[in-house]
Amino acid sequence: MNMVTSITTDWEDRGAINRVGLWLFILSDSFLFIAIIFTRFYLQGVQRPSELNQLLGFVISVVLLLSSLFAYRGETAAAYGDIRRFRYNILATIGLGSLFLVGVGVEWAEGFRFFPPSTGFGTVFFTLTGFHAFHVFTGILGLLLILLPGQKKRLGEGSYWGVEAMVKYWHFVDVAWVFIFPTLYLVS
Amino acid sequence: MHSRHLEVKLRLGFKVFATLTALKIIEYVVGTSINRGAWPYLSMMAVVGAWAILHYFMHIPQLWRRKE
Repeated sequence: MNMVTSITTDWEDRGAINRVGLWLFILSDSFLFIAIIFTRFYLQGVQRPSELNQLLGFVISVVLLLSSLFAYRGETAAAYGDIRRFRYNILATIGLGSLFLVGVGVEWAEGFRFFPPSTGFGTVFFTLTGFHAFHVFTGILGLLLILLPGQKKRLGEGSYWGVEAMVKYWHFVDVAWVFIFPTLYLVS
Repeated sequence: MHSRHLEVKLRLGFKVFATLTALKIIEYVVGTSINRGAWPYLSMMAVVGAWAILHYFMHIPQLWRRKE
């Protein structure tokens, strides 16, 4: 009897265990971002080149925030089994994430001209934005994965772990940018 | 009831987004207009923004609450 109860409880707790695992992954990943952010201050102090396009940095920040809103809406819709709304919102998130990557690409083109990777600031700038952009790219791939037709059959209250995990990852990428933007573009 | 609950949650998301965008605008204005010593204000705003995302979008309280 005890064994049966224990198995049932284990099954019910699976979601909670999954969540803890994801949060541990997010925590370990955030240490890398923290290390590179500290490198910026170690190498350059609070100096930044005057050619840095702050307005573009601001615009892509708002784009990423907006993508987070759509990701949240997609996850909430999935939790309530609203498949149509889920799909539209996740597609919007993917679109905005791609737009963010284009913005980073434009910034890189300017960066190579004014502060190439061989300079102190360039080293930190390209490492930090490159590492972050890679996360955005993998986030987009993950979001595409949860849009696969086979996935939608599993959606509904209490059974949308895949969506929840990918959306949490996407928000983590946003949290990282919340610190990266002032570190690279605004501190002086 | 089910869909009304969903609408309430979606509205909450929009409010959080609006707050985060307002913070980002203030951050931008502070960062571009103050030439020296802006970092304490910028750090504070970044922490508040990150907390809002962690709390409302990532539902971090789920970790210590049994059910949300």
